[in-house]
Amino acid sequence: MSKMYYLPQGNEVELFKAAAGMNLPILIKGPTGCGKTRFIEAMGEELGREVYTVVCHDDLSAADLVGRHLIDENGTYWQDGPLTKAVRNGGICYLDEIIEARKDTTVILHSLADYRRVLPIDRTGEVIEAHPDFMLVVSYNPGYQNVLKGMKPSTKQRFISLSFDYPKAEIETKVILQESGIDHELAQKLVAIAGEIRQLSDSDIQEAVSTRLLIYAAKLIAKGFDPYQACIHSIVESLSDEEDVLEVLEKLISLHFKKSLHV
Amino acid sequence: MDEKVGKFWDHYVTKKASRLFKDEAVLFESKAKALKIFYHLLGGEQGKELHITDKRSIKTSRTLLEKFSGTGKTFFLAWQDEKGLYLPASLAYFPSKANNEMHYYWLIAMLSTVNIKSQNISAENSNAANTLIKKYTGFKEFYTYAYSYLLNQYPELSANEASIEVSSADNYPNPLWIYPSLSSSNKLLDTGDEEEILRQNDEQSKSETLQMKKKSEQIDDKKETDGLLLFLPESILSFMEQVRVDRQENDSFDEDALYNAEDLDEITLGRKDANLHARIKMDLDISANSIEEYPLGKGHFIDEWDYKKEVYLKNYVCIRPFVSLHTEPIELPKRLQKMMRRIQSELDMMELDRLKRDNLPYGDEINIDTWIDYKGHQNRSNHPQRFFETFERKTRDMSTLILADVSLSTEAGITQELRVIDMIQDSLMVFSESLHRLQDRFAIYTFSSIKNTKVNFHIIKNFKEKYSDVIRGRIHAIKPGYYTRLGAGIRESAKILEKQQSQNKLLLILSDGKPNDVDRYDGRYGIEDTKKAIEEVKQKGITPFCITIDIDAKEYLPYLFGRNSYAVIRDAKKLPKVLPEIYMNLTK
Repeated sequence: MSKMYYLPQGNEVELFKAAAGMNLPILIKGPTGCGKTRFIEAMGEELGREVYTVVCHDDLSAADLVGRHLIDENGTYWQDGPLTKAVRNGGICYLDEIIEARKDTTVILHSLADYRRVLPIDRTGEVIEAHPDFMLVVSYNPGYQNVLKGMKPSTKQRFISLSFDYPKAEIETKVILQESGIDHELAQKLVAIAGEIRQLSDSDIQEAVSTRLLIYAAKLIAKGFDPYQACIHSIVESLSDEEDVLEVLEKLISLHFKKSLHV
Repeated sequence: MDEKVGKFWDHYVTKKASRLFKDEAVLFESKAKALKIFYHLLGGEQGKELHITDKRSIKTSRTLLEKFSGTGKTFFLAWQDEKGLYLPASLAYFPSKANNEMHYYWLIAMLSTVNIKSQNISAENSNAANTLIKKYTGFKEFYTYAYSYLLNQYPELSANEASIEVSSADNYPNPLWIYPSLSSSNKLLDTGDEEEILRQNDEQSKSETLQMKKKSEQIDDKKETDGLLLFLPESILSFMEQVRVDRQENDSFDEDALYNAEDLDEITLGRKDANLHARIKMDLDISANSIEEYPLGKGHFIDEWDYKKEVYLKNYVCIRPFVSLHTEPIELPKRLQKMMRRIQSELDMMELDRLKRDNLPYGDEINIDTWIDYKGHQNRSNHPQRFFETFERKTRDMSTLILADVSLSTEAGITQELRVIDMIQDSLMVFSESLHRLQDRFAIYTFSSIKNTKVNFHIIKNFKEKYSDVIRGRIHAIKPGYYTRLGAGIRESAKILEKQQSQNKLLLILSDGKPNDVDRYDGRYGIEDTKKAIEEVKQKGITPFCITIDIDAKEYLPYLFGRNSYAVIRDAKKLPKVLPEIYMNLTK
């Protein structure tokens, strides 16, 4: 299998490897679509560890992470959750958007995230000591905070923090080139558009354009789509539903690419 | 008859002389919001606002028809200063709407590119234009078209091209250019006079605001030496003496004032005593149980942010805490009781959202997961038989501080009988009632200000006090005060909230309008200070949320609070009902 493509923006790769070597848990902050998940997957491949990704949500219970008893024709049996699997067999357990999970759920991470590195399972009466290759990684997007949805300071202070942002223009251009195969000038233009949209603070749009959306646009263009149309469908329409914002974004695209009338 | 013919002729000849396409005009108003977003997109400063510009007179050669009709002397040109961008109210240079609209976008792009301080406007404009053309294919297309079109239509423009060194705008003004700022020789109108302040505010309910930036000059008509005017109308020598008498003014509102103001080249600001409304000021014997504003100490000083210097003005604002004494305790007014019953049923729904506790030896329901666990356990006899679960009320661990703006503008009427302040009072009562029933900790403060020396900070209920009839009495006794130094109110509230032990802290700001005060705390200065105060609040781990009933406010609210941290209530009458709903949504 070919190696996953990941271009480092700073010292994040070294930091991740060092943390992995010292068994330290990592917290990654950053906006949607800036490459957090991609980074973890690339690191998993690089370190030869399996990545167990859990996307957190309101109803995620401790049992969803740890595991539960199930019933089949032979009676009941225990099934490990993703966290337990990673703790038992080694691997990276990646909890995406941890802030979305219930607070009583995140508490079970405490004993794993500090020097103890153990996972007690009440239901089976087990206390599992973490595999030497086990690593805990959580991520969250600070922009989404709700009044009652902050991260508990006691949880936050158990992690090494890494801040992610949208990649620098040259890096983003390279990523787009690699992923889509469009020409250099076009990739640069897409990055320039993204740069401009990212100047809109959260007062105008909720979330700026992600690298992911740029790659979508580039892929559409590579498939023979008209650049103007590709940008409208993959960038403009995905960012907002507000009329004024849409008008301005459309204008911006039309300033960069000649407006075509056919779809 | 003569007048009618004159009017008709004037209309005809003006239309004839005009080279604009009135039918294809694009209005600023219809594009204002989009243009502002576009400005941000190009990296423009968030704190700047967009306004309509006034016309300016420029000496230039005119066509015969223009001379004939008396037009072509004044122009609406785009310009900017550190507070805002100023654009023509409408654009109609081109025969198609699309191009006229594009013209607005072009001007915004130019405004975000040109250096304001540059003296050589011609060079600066052509540099900016070149940058834009290179970067955007769309602008290149527009500019090539627009430039040749304008050159064709307005031959006078070629003079600009000939001399690169032009440093003034004395040639025919180029509609595609950005011009130096309209210099206003005025200083801030710092009246410093409380009487004057009150008078202006009484008038507020029936005032219209001139949306346009006007050149202004302040005259001092008190000096008696200036009183003699001498001039020669048609060779007849006459004397005129200026006497300070109010002749034409009366209390009626001049309907045409706004229209006339827009038409003036320059507005002269006079200054005179507030003698339009007679007022009686007297001391009354205050009976023992009438309301008394009791100051708590001499007040203390807090900082304020100066955006121009980018520094904190240390201990610049004086906060004076007050509490009302001798207020009469009251029960929840009858008119609110029905609403409260409805809200109560919603609050009950919230209690459904309870914390589940399982693994209990007894409880409300059997938890199937725990039961399967028990069945699946190897050594069942040793395994505890805890299959039950129960629901407990969630502890929310919330502290909420409500900061209500009670500046004089809240005295404005919504209907004949209702004022904004009445709605604020009602909302505070209903809201307190709801929070009290939810058992969330809360405090209420109100504020108003006169300059930095006097920010009155009224305590209605602090975190320690119990909600009771006395608190309701204090809410009932709230009186509108002066101005809105919002940043100071927010900073003071944050200081109080910071000391609370709970994990979640919410600062709810109830304001009807912009930050403003009589000194420089108006416009951008006030907005930037408030924004800074909000940032400080967030850094302290407090969540700010603003609820406003000023519809125009939407312009700057996202900039101050961020997109998801404010709500605009269009109908002030709904405020009491909506406030608890917003709170519930925020803290679900």
